[in-house]
Amino acid sequence: MKALLLGAAAAALLHITPTVTLVERSEVVSRLLPGADRFTAREVHLSSTDERRMHDAAGWTPPDDVITFYLGKRANQVEGVLIFMRVDSPHGPLEVAVGFDTAGAIRGVEVTKATVETKPWVVEALRAGLTDHYRETPPVAAPSVKGKVGTMSEYMAELVDRGVAHAGAAYRLFYR
Amino acid sequence: MLYDLPRSDARVRWLVTLLLATLGVAYVFGAWMVGIYAGFTPRSVAATYVEPAGMNMPMPADRTMVVEHDVTPADMAREEQHQVDRALLIQDTHVHVPMYGVIAAVLSVVVLGIAIPRWMGFALITLLFAAPWLDFMGMWLTKLVSPHFAVVTLAGGWAMGLGYTIVAALAFWQMWRPERGVRP
Repeated sequence: MKALLLGAAAAALLHITPTVTLVERSEVVSRLLPGADRFTAREVHLSSTDERRMHDAAGWTPPDDVITFYLGKRANQVEGVLIFMRVDSPHGPLEVAVGFDTAGAIRGVEVTKATVETKPWVVEALRAGLTDHYRETPPVAAPSVKGKVGTMSEYMAELVDRGVAHAGAAYRLFYR
Repeated sequence: MLYDLPRSDARVRWLVTLLLATLGVAYVFGAWMVGIYAGFTPRSVAATYVEPAGMNMPMPADRTMVVEHDVTPADMAREEQHQVDRALLIQDTHVHVPMYGVIAAVLSVVVLGIAIPRWMGFALITLLFAAPWLDFMGMWLTKLVSPHFAVVTLAGGWAMGLGYTIVAALAFWQMWRPERGVRP
């Protein structure tokens, strides 16, 4: 019986909880592509060679080998680029939106989705200023909230950092 | 039956009652979650588990292809069809199958204690274990062979609900039915 109960508890702990939206994508679009009145989705279907380049650069390859860049335009001029990046973890996926300005610097980072389980950790990391330090050029590599939040929030910060790094590599290699 | 659940100590019957009620709540929310993420029609289930089109798209091995199209902010905000890719399905299978096994085993222990014919006991236990097998077999066949196998996943889901309902109904009835002047 003890084994059964332990098994059930372990299974419950491992179960990935449903996704929750932290920030609506439409809100993110207006924040990270300000002023844009026209939008274009640029889908880059990677060849096997470019998939390897991506992997070598960031230790990551996009799902289905497709990277989607959303270009915000005004008067046919590109005002900025936005990427929604999914980062998987044993606790469920996070979605990180990374916006770039015309010079290629990070304009802002938003965590758009988490899970019921990870939301409190993500919120704690965000309140500690997790996404603020990305608005520097070049972005600080290590999560800036280390030591200021709990262990799981630090872990969430690492995941967000990973998403930003993947987006940065994708932008450098396949957008510019 | 291997033991007499209906005539067992009231504490045991209470435990089984709470266990079944808890599992019932979990199943209701499980169904709700399925409704949100995969739906209850073969088409929506197939769209969730089928191998993404991009993976089947013939791509030149040595050339990256760029496709551009105009979108609106609403298009960007629109929830994409929730898709379970191969990596996630591997993780889901790893996480869920043991849990389903534990639940099927727990319900089977309840089956062993209720007064039903031997053949029905075999049938119920088989149903309890077959349901998750069908569920995941359907997902994998949908992904690897054909979207038509989504019906197998649906059959597995309904079988899971049916198995639980039969076991819970029989157990509740046999444990708590009023008996002439003897209980509890």
